[in-house]
Amino acid sequence: MFQLPKGNPLFENLAVTKLKLTDVVMKLANGSFTGYASFTFPTATGILVFESGKLASTILAPSQGQSIFGFEAMTSLAEQMVTSGTGTMDVYRLSKDLTMCVHALLQGEALYRSQELALIDIKTLLERVKQEQMNGCLRIYTDEKSAMIFYKEGNPLGFFHDGSQDIDSSPGESQQLAQDPKAKLDLYTTVSADELMSHDLLDVINVAKIWDAAVARQQAELNRMNRELADKDRMQSINRLTDLENQIRTIYIEYVGNVGRGIIDKELTSAGGNSCLLEQERSEQFMTALEKAAKLLISVKKIAEMKEKISALLIQARA
Amino acid sequence: MEILLEQLQGIPPIYLIQLVFWLLAGLISFVFSLGNARIWTSISIGFFLILLSQFYLLNKLFHTPTTAAFTYITGTVAIMLITHGFLEYYVFCRTFEITGRKQTVYLTTILLLVLSWVFLAINPEPSMFTVRNIKMVENAIWVFLTLMNLEIIRKIYYAIKDSPISKAFICFGIVFLCILLWKGSELYLQVFQWDRLWGNIAFQLDLDEVGFDLDIKLDDSEEYWRRINVARQVYDYAGLLAAMAVSGTFAFLYKLLK
Repeated sequence: MFQLPKGNPLFENLAVTKLKLTDVVMKLANGSFTGYASFTFPTATGILVFESGKLASTILAPSQGQSIFGFEAMTSLAEQMVTSGTGTMDVYRLSKDLTMCVHALLQGEALYRSQELALIDIKTLLERVKQEQMNGCLRIYTDEKSAMIFYKEGNPLGFFHDGSQDIDSSPGESQQLAQDPKAKLDLYTTVSADELMSHDLLDVINVAKIWDAAVARQQAELNRMNRELADKDRMQSINRLTDLENQIRTIYIEYVGNVGRGIIDKELTSAGGNSCLLEQERSEQFMTALEKAAKLLISVKKIAEMKEKISALLIQARA
Repeated sequence: MEILLEQLQGIPPIYLIQLVFWLLAGLISFVFSLGNARIWTSISIGFFLILLSQFYLLNKLFHTPTTAAFTYITGTVAIMLITHGFLEYYVFCRTFEITGRKQTVYLTTILLLVLSWVFLAINPEPSMFTVRNIKMVENAIWVFLTLMNLEIIRKIYYAIKDSPISKAFICFGIVFLCILLWKGSELYLQVFQWDRLWGNIAFQLDLDEVGFDLDIKLDDSEEYWRRINVARQVYDYAGLLAAMAVSGTFAFLYKLLK
């Protein structure tokens, strides 16, 4: 995404995670804001251009892939805000004319795109811009640098190049870049600022619904992840308890014989399942029951030995 | 004391040895009942009661028909308690359930004995016939329940075959085989009226004369003297072996569960 002039910054580096898209859009719309709001995410950049509080254009440019516009861009922007977890928002106030040019740059009609400068007569092109009283933006760029000239009714409004913060009145950098034999140009035009104000994307895009849907989707996703996490935890806990139960069963059978398998099963059922093994009081009751049954099968000495082994396992498990 | 010594001198040596072993078995089983699980209490108290039921051998000390009848009833209570214990053990092997309290076993046993005494006390003094009848009922119950116990013990053994205590059940199997021969042989003699008590009755009442008049053969012991003799030998020696087996089994059990 290319750089845009910053004009008069209203907010910079606001954490997106704390913002609601609905609030941002309504605040800018209700405040008759002119300029743009830029949202920077790790994988995409979104821009909302306002002309006197009317949403003129919406764009979302991913780091890789094609940019999207309008409703689609607004939906993706809402999703990015809800899901990214990081990101910042900057809001810059611009003049109406410059905002119109920014709109042209982002969503205007492309008269030239990636046109090699060496192959066209730049003077004739500039005369055409003047004659046709074009509103828009001429962008000259190489792989390393870029510069922009904004026009209103065929007259240059100002010059902007990479590294600068605002509009220059002299064409220095643009002229230098135009002399580069590898330079290319894009020419975007748009309707006048007044005409632009007659359209408001907010009339056709329900930002509140888009935001609510994005939040709901995110919540559903979070719930699903939480469920999966809980399931995973539960499975781990079940597996750990099953392992412990099997170890205790092995020790008990080792001492009392195969009849011990049934005794363990019965006593675990009576104790409400193997979860009792992790609770001190219930596991003591379980041990007492095992001891009572073992008294019918093995010697007191062996019972003490067996209890010691099982208790060690239980203490270890509880720790 | 003198009566006791005189009495002991009058007892045939084999019964005297038997009495000594029953005394031993009774003591071991009673001590065993105190320190072990509830189910063992029923079994060991039952075997202890056999000792009490053997006191009829000292018949000059306990010479009244009522006391004689009481010792036989005690014998019946003994096998019922033993059977109850083994049944409980079998239930434990199948369901792993252990219920009840030791005190209940002791109190129930005492209550049964008291009720038996009351039963004898409120009825007319038992005649020799009645005493013999009670003795025969006791033997019949012993034989029936011994067969049942042998089957229960077989099932218990297979349920806990790989447990250390399973060998003790083999010993109990031997005990019950001896008891089956002991009680069975006496029942056999009683059923055909070849027992000593019937001999006494017949002698006292001169029943041969009555039988002659009525053309009923009341005593055919002359004709079957050989098998009667075998049955009496079996009764004497199986009783002795049973007493020895019970002592040994409880000593072994004590060692296994110590």
